[in-house]
Amino acid sequence: MSGLQAKLRAPLAAQADCAEVLAGAWSAVSAADLARRPVAVAGRGAVPFGELCDLSGAADGTLRFVGDWSQAARLGAGLTEGSVVVEGDVGNEVGVGMAGGSIEVRGNAGDRAGAAAPEARRGMTGGELVVHGTVGREAGALMRRGLLVAGGAVGDHAGVGMIAGTIIAFGAFGAAAGLWSKRGSLVALGDVAIPTTYRYACTYQPVHLRLLLSRIKARYGMPAEGRHLTGFYRRYSGDLAELGKGEILAWTA
Amino acid sequence: MNIRGVFIEETFAEAFTMRVARVIVTARSPRWAREAALKLTGFATSVIGCKVEAGVERELPEAETPDGRPGISILLMTMGKDDLPKRLIERIGQTVLTCPTTACFDGLPAAPDRLGVGSALRFFGDGFQSSKVIGGERFWRIPVMEGEFVVQEKFGMVKGVGGGNFLILARTADAALAAAEAAVDAMHGHPGTILPFPGGVVRSGSKVGSRRIKSMIASTNDAFCPTLRAITASALPETVNSVLEIVINGTDAEAIADAMRLGIGAACTDGVVSISAGNYGGKLGPHHFHLRKIMGGAA
Repeated sequence: MSGLQAKLRAPLAAQADCAEVLAGAWSAVSAADLARRPVAVAGRGAVPFGELCDLSGAADGTLRFVGDWSQAARLGAGLTEGSVVVEGDVGNEVGVGMAGGSIEVRGNAGDRAGAAAPEARRGMTGGELVVHGTVGREAGALMRRGLLVAGGAVGDHAGVGMIAGTIIAFGAFGAAAGLWSKRGSLVALGDVAIPTTYRYACTYQPVHLRLLLSRIKARYGMPAEGRHLTGFYRRYSGDLAELGKGEILAWTA
Repeated sequence: MNIRGVFIEETFAEAFTMRVARVIVTARSPRWAREAALKLTGFATSVIGCKVEAGVERELPEAETPDGRPGISILLMTMGKDDLPKRLIERIGQTVLTCPTTACFDGLPAAPDRLGVGSALRFFGDGFQSSKVIGGERFWRIPVMEGEFVVQEKFGMVKGVGGGNFLILARTADAALAAAEAAVDAMHGHPGTILPFPGGVVRSGSKVGSRRIKSMIASTNDAFCPTLRAITASALPETVNSVLEIVINGTDAEAIADAMRLGIGAACTDGVVSISAGNYGGKLGPHHFHLRKIMGGAA
């Protein structure tokens, strides 16, 4: 396989903050240089990324994480470029504040995926964060732009305070999805509880979802089926306690 | 050169560089895609009077459209690059936005020149419009009474060629028309080309300027009018009583030449005396389509 690969040497015993690994420009960085980037391991402090994993391959803008990275937090924080694939699970805050590029997680993701970093006013401002499995709480919190996709269920408070952007869930949304959203779009292909501050608008067939769902099926292999592309969606406008230009598009049949 | 008894004249069609956009219109059914395309390409035969030349390139199956619905590919062409965005905005705004179930996409995604079309049309949404970036391209969702109109923000523009042509010189009007219809059928759907005139055929070929009115930029091509044979410097043989022209525009000269080859080949039918072409002596247009060179393989 071309591109870089980061293969974990041993399961992470403690949480590792990987925010610096893919910060700034990285797609042309060699495996050796990437190995020198710091990772903050709980109880140990900063250690070189290369101490945790074997880095191999040649830089071409892609990076594949192999192994159990479920203790890796803030992976792809602020990502601006390139394509990242995590073969298994990943920890909390994957893709927080990412602005470009793509992160594909083939397992599950923890809390606050694509959300805003604690010090930031905005979550994702661009790019695509696609999780094949489930996603934890507060996914896409304060998201400004970009696309967040969950193949499974999404935890409570997804898209809380969204400014804009899109979250698609093939599984169920947890409680209070889209609360305080200004212009964000939540696309519910599974169950969703509509917050009381959203109001039903109509049932229709959104053409743009055909584009969106076709793309994530073609590029990431997400299970978008004909019934999703051609189906009817109930549109709810909200959050009416905020700007009210957001929406929940709930697939019906 | 003769093809099935039809003389191919030693002449050439003279064509011009134009700016081209390819618009993909999709709809819930082929019927509504066609309805939108019909209006979008209406009154767009010649830049002389219509400001734009347009036509249907081909119908697209669901598998070839961005949203997986039936579609139609349309080429719109102008002489100047500043004209094209204006024509796209006014025509898509009046004919596609208004047509039930349609959406409108760029058909030249690789073109480096990008024209803001959806970015202008979005204002019809009066602040209720929204957009989505999908695969790096922005699409506008404009709320309309039926639901939503989706239009791509930017459309590609490339240099193309306008004014490829050939003339069918026939013994009778019926023979000219039958040959023209055969030619149009043969060229129909040829990728990268359109036939902007009614049914693909022109009966009123023009010459540059006017003998009498200085301000006119075009007037009847009297040399090819059978009724004027006795009183003008006619280019028509005695046996010719009707002439029809096929005008071909395209994304590139090769596409036009290929279409001309198909069309001329099909037009060589009973009652046709010769095939000629319109030019201005080769001094105005940079693209010259020499009939015999084009038909070299079919002689």
